[in-house]
Amino acid sequence: MRIERYDMIVIGAGPAGLSAAIEAAKCGIKPIVFDENARPGGQLFKQIHKFFGSKEHKAKMRGFNIGKELLEEAEKAGVKVVLGATVTGLFDGKEVTVRIGDTIKHVQGDSILVATGASENMVNFDGWTLPGVIGAGAAQTMMNLHHVKPGDRILMLGTGNVGLVVSYQLMQAGCEVVALVDAAPRVGGYGVHASKVARCGVPFYLSHTILRAEGDDHVTGVVIGEVGPGWKVIPGTEKHFDVDTICLAVGLSPMAQLLSMAGCQMNDTKGGYVPVIDEDGMTSIDGVFSAGDVTGIEEASSAMIEGRISGLAVAHYLGYIDDAEKQQRIEEQEKALDALRQGMFAPQNRGKKIEKTEEGIPVSENLLDKGYIADDEIARYPGVTHKKGIHPVIECTQNIPCNPCQDACKFGCISIGDNITSLPVVTEDSQCTGCGMCVASCSGQAIFLVEEDVEPGYGEVTMPYEFLPLPKKGDCGVALGRDGKVVCDAEVTKIRSAKAFDHTNLLTIKVPNDMLMKARFFKSQE
Amino acid sequence: MTDIQEVLNKIGPYEPAEDDHLLVCRCEEVTKGEIRKAVHEGMFTIEELRRYLRCGMGLCQGQTCGKLVKGIVARELGVAVTDVTPATSRAPMRPTEMEIAGNDGGEQA
Ligand SMILES: Cc1cc2nc3c(=O)[nH]c(=O)nc-3n(C[C@H](O)[C@H](O)[C@H](O)COP(=O)(O)OP(=O)(O)OC[C@H]3O[C@@H](n4cnc5c(N)ncnc54)[C@H](O)[C@@H]3O)c2cc1C
Ligand code: SF4
Ligand code: SF4
Repeated sequence: MRIERYDMIVIGAGPAGLSAAIEAAKCGIKPIVFDENARPGGQLFKQIHKFFGSKEHKAKMRGFNIGKELLEEAEKAGVKVVLGATVTGLFDGKEVTVRIGDTIKHVQGDSILVATGASENMVNFDGWTLPGVIGAGAAQTMMNLHHVKPGDRILMLGTGNVGLVVSYQLMQAGCEVVALVDAAPRVGGYGVHASKVARCGVPFYLSHTILRAEGDDHVTGVVIGEVGPGWKVIPGTEKHFDVDTICLAVGLSPMAQLLSMAGCQMNDTKGGYVPVIDEDGMTSIDGVFSAGDVTGIEEASSAMIEGRISGLAVAHYLGYIDDAEKQQRIEEQEKALDALRQGMFAPQNRGKKIEKTEEGIPVSENLLDKGYIADDEIARYPGVTHKKGIHPVIECTQNIPCNPCQDACKFGCISIGDNITSLPVVTEDSQCTGCGMCVASCSGQAIFLVEEDVEPGYGEVTMPYEFLPLPKKGDCGVALGRDGKVVCDAEVTKIRSAKAFDHTNLLTIKVPNDMLMKARFFKSQE
Repeated sequence: MTDIQEVLNKIGPYEPAEDDHLLVCRCEEVTKGEIRKAVHEGMFTIEELRRYLRCGMGLCQGQTCGKLVKGIVARELGVAVTDVTPATSRAPMRPTEMEIAGNDGGEQA
């Protein structure tokens, strides 16, 4: 019996697996990567939004473009990716069975890296098996990979980042999102993600859950209700929506079956069944490593760094780099990883109620309850200043690891400082030119430009705009507030698109001066 | 070793609930009520439930219902979800036709 042998077998060509293979290949290893999908990149190619983080984390790049860069890097490094290859088993002696087409191949590795990612969680309610109830990730696959609209009228369950991001993308795809629902009492994801959905007019129902999906052979409606003490629905709080699709964004679970069947020591945690790993990603089995979502759900940015660390650890394990080189190169990666794991949403803060920002400013309660910052809360943040002339208004109010806005302004108007989670500050004495780079660079679409008295009694608000068709100069319509409700009439005075904006268009509207701090979205009238 | 009788005494008899009809494992059509009842019949681990009711034995291999089943068992037993022994993972990790598995002679193709 002849079994093919490799230095390193990588299972999963997502951000974690690819990054590991790249790093190992750069050290001289010839890794082979198996992925069951028809294309590499894992979850990354569904992410059409701009990522958070810093330059080192490729912040403000859209996820799929980060994926493209990763693929190019993999090709350059000589990483071999076999697609349509499902790994069905992981056995003693680091032997792997791979199903390709109708045959099962056996391969053996001197090292194995499992980076199989995660699968979507489900919830039960009456009618949950009706066609039209889908996972949010599935909705994303349909629209962003296959260009198929998942439905026309959609209710989203889950206000974590996945629920928020996918809701926004559904609207970009032309769907109507009728409501965002979460059983938790507070919005789970980033406030900036919530705000960009709320200002489009999507209502948030916190402490609510789905009671039933309606329909005979497909979803035609949904009923939600308010959750009271003991997770019981309070009678009389039922609300009905006509929808054809219900999207579930209720978390992900690591897919660690391969590691568990191989006999790795496992840990049953709240976040799922995960392998016990050391700081380099090695499991309890010598030479078997693991990285990315399969070791605990985080993000693509951290999955890539974890992958790179494991790739270097594999290179060291196989003797391709020495102790000193390993340590030095892993240290750099760990610094980057550490930066991502800071702030209000850091893993160690999960589930905690945070009352104040690092700066000691009370967090917006309204943002957590309803998805938007109330008019009387906004002025307390350091990104919100008042001036007559054009200046940025930064409605980024939570400590998140993100700083592209600071790099975007070449005129020094915006400062975050060395601590990446600090709130952006608009510096008092700087001169804003209105170039709009900050607005387009903000991953959270949280920056607006405001100018008073452009003509008597009227000023202008410039906002990020990522919907098609684009409004045209001269279009009349209404301005919506942070809560998505109409605040006044508005006229489009400028629309700017540029390569450097990377598909975030800048829409400028004219509104009365006293509406400048209220108008945050525009809707054409016809 | 868990003393099955002791646990069964502690949790009391099975009480029907309003949502017992809810489908939990849709591949094998197992309801919440069936799972709850099975707990009172002495099935405490996911492995036992799989053999007893076939939940998690269908096409998706428990990818959809695994977590839900665990939650139901934990609630019925009054223990934390992490205290319920998860299912054993076995090859093949994804459904594989018998013909393909049968043709696997262990060789590299
Ligand atoms: C809606 C949504 C929005 C997100 N937004 C962001 C964001 O803004 N920023 C951010 O940083 N992250 C974001 N993420 C998270 C990010 O996409 C994931 O954390 C990241 O993709 C995890 O990388 P991974 O390599 O561990 O796993 P994955 O990307 O899931 O890749 C795993 C790969 O393994 C393959 N695989 C699995 N099992 C097998 C097997 N048995 N045989 C062969 N191949 C197998 C799969 O086909 C897949 O390609 C988002 C996720 C979702 C769902
Ligand atoms: S508009 Fe231009 S000059 Fe003004 S703050 Fe933004 S990046 Fe700086
Ligand atoms: S304002 Fe700055 S820190 Fe906040 S989301 Fe935008 S780019 Fe990131």
